[in-house]
Amino acid sequence: MTTMNRRTFVATLGLAGSAALLAGCSSNDASTDVTTDDAATTDDSADEASYTLVKEGTLTNVAELGFAPFEYIDDDGNTVGFDVDLSNALAEKLGLTCEWLPNQAFDTLVPTIQQGGKADISIAGMTITDDRLEQVDFTDPYLNSNQGLITASSSTDTVDTLNDASKQIACQTGTTGDEWIQENLPNATRVPLADVTAGLMGVQTGLYSAMVIDLPVAQNMISQSFTDLQVLEEIPTGEQYAIAVSKDNPGLTAALNDALAQIEEDGTMDTIKQTWFGTTEI
Amino acid sequence: MQHRRWTLLAALALALTGVFALAAPQPARALTTEKATARPNEDGGSGVIGGMDTRLTWEGTVEDGEEVTSVTLTLPEGASFDHSTTRITALEGLSRMDVTGTATPSGSSITVTFDQTVPAGSLLRLEITNMQFPAAGGGVVVSGSYQTGDGSHELADSEPIATIANTPLQSIVNWLDQQPWVQAWNSNQFLGMFLRPQLLVTSFASLAPGWILCLGIVVAAYPFAIALGLLFAMLKISKWRVLRAIAIVYINILRGTPLFLQIYIMFFGLPMVGINIDNNLLGIIVMAINSSAYLAEIFRAGIQSIPQGQYEAASSLGMNYVQTMFSVILPQTVRRVIPTVTSDFITAFKDTSLLSSVGVMELMMFSKNLTTVTGNITPYVAAGIFYLIVTLPLIKVVGTIEENIARSERGGGPRPRPRRRAEVADGAAERMKEAEAAEGASVSAAVAGVSALLASPNARAKEASDVC
Repeated sequence: MTTMNRRTFVATLGLAGSAALLAGCSSNDASTDVTTDDAATTDDSADEASYTLVKEGTLTNVAELGFAPFEYIDDDGNTVGFDVDLSNALAEKLGLTCEWLPNQAFDTLVPTIQQGGKADISIAGMTITDDRLEQVDFTDPYLNSNQGLITASSSTDTVDTLNDASKQIACQTGTTGDEWIQENLPNATRVPLADVTAGLMGVQTGLYSAMVIDLPVAQNMISQSFTDLQVLEEIPTGEQYAIAVSKDNPGLTAALNDALAQIEEDGTMDTIKQTWFGTTEI
Repeated sequence: MQHRRWTLLAALALALTGVFALAAPQPARALTTEKATARPNEDGGSGVIGGMDTRLTWEGTVEDGEEVTSVTLTLPEGASFDHSTTRITALEGLSRMDVTGTATPSGSSITVTFDQTVPAGSLLRLEITNMQFPAAGGGVVVSGSYQTGDGSHELADSEPIATIANTPLQSIVNWLDQQPWVQAWNSNQFLGMFLRPQLLVTSFASLAPGWILCLGIVVAAYPFAIALGLLFAMLKISKWRVLRAIAIVYINILRGTPLFLQIYIMFFGLPMVGINIDNNLLGIIVMAINSSAYLAEIFRAGIQSIPQGQYEAASSLGMNYVQTMFSVILPQTVRRVIPTVTSDFITAFKDTSLLSSVGVMELMMFSKNLTTVTGNITPYVAAGIFYLIVTLPLIKVVGTIEENIARSERGGGPRPRPRRRAEVADGAAERMKEAEAAEGASVSAAVAGVSALLASPNARAKEASDVC
């Protein structure tokens, strides 16, 4: 009989722990196979309509929750927004309930979905780009968007004067606005931040000269809370928001596309647009 | 006279060229090139490297009365559109129009044919991902042609896009890309996500400036933190209640609130009241102030741990309070607080990472950017290694000093005792021999002498430590 001294005990524990970690990485025991019952509207075969979910009966969302009016935490601590309503409507069509994971930085969303195991979808005002398409699948687009260049109302800067190393231009890390600055204002000092509010506050206080962010968010934030900021330039990019789904889960993408088509058709989409933008023309 | 004639001639020539320039037919452009940009593809940098995948974004406006059916973009020889994907966006103002099409790459040019004609007045945007610029680098001009109802027309050249030739670092990465063992390594999901060799290489190169800045900030902040800490430690043990109160408020507020909050207050608050300080300098200030509160407590505890007897001894030598402090108490305190101060230094060094949230370009910021661009966790691991390069040796130092202090507190002390004791023992043996030779009653006397000799260093050491 051998007695275990402290060092071997710790070593054993470490081994066991790493083994558990590796096992957790490779297996998806927790997820369950679900076959949609009400996918009768399409003639997809049963195989294509089946998908896996992290949690049975639940559509688990992950997003950066500081992106009003798409997803944000309201004064009562609830996760609300256009995307939230949309996700609820989609989940309803699929016969699921919706659940939102805690706030997560925008630049970690695509890796999270790609890795799988934590969330089923990311519906986060995320633009379809060819780069992201290499890592995840996207559903059909559900909304068109553009970029906005925000400065303080009192600012005398123009797009040309902002292209200077002395100008700090904020953006949200990993967004299309981030890329826009890199390409179009290459001389400016780009400041990627985790959340939009920090950037807008910085522009308000003069810490940053400008911020580039999705136009609907810019307009919403300026009208709601940052009244002394302005959209200096509306940048036409015509980008399209869609829902990111893991490449291992094509059934879910197909099911969501079905559901999207349904809510476009039955007017739910227009209702949600009306609620959040006051217009259906967006 | 001669001069005037020449001037006249020159003026005439100039005027003539002007007339001809005006008279020359302007090529009618139905599709005006607005801009062409490329996404930086230098890992951890902002350069556009030729011969490596990147994305070209081209924008043009369709002028009135024209409809465009296809666009061909041409790059200089050496560029490649093979394996590229193209995203077509047509906009009227800010609203997106339904325009689809197919892109056909052929060598250094690509033709995008639209399923619907792109109407007049719209902005056409082509994003071509995974194309490559010429490997030689240099200014790259996008030219090309377009088709309208009445045939093919030349596109105006774009402003040149600045590209660079491959860097040595990038060559290493490209070499790693080719290695079978790297591919095998990366095919493991865990290793590929956390320890991708290519990214480790680029991370180390591109994180270095951030690491230097981290070190710079904390090294610059620390002398001030120590001075401030010492000041507030003295205030806190002061005889006057007001001074004590000031110190207590300062220390408690700074120790009782998160550094993250203090950073936000300073970085967003100061500009609001019109004080604009350089980000790095402000970072140093925040770190110095925050550390000073912790150091004040460390110093206070250190000072108060010096036995009362030291004060009494000092005053018995006729020293006043200041003399006692600076030549008796503080020197002893320094030795006692070195481990805790070093630990605090380690903490402060790690806490510089919080400054990334307000845009100080330090280590964490660089690794965050790199993770964003690559969608991989390896840059964070590289940042961790950079932090450890500093913290591990310091942790070792703390351990060693603590051990030394513990030994000296036990009565060991830093003096080279073991050797002396051995010498004494040798001496004793010799004496014993002598004594044996001498024989008789003198033996016991010699032994007593030796034991006195053995005891004396101890006694002396004790005296010494009591006095100093």
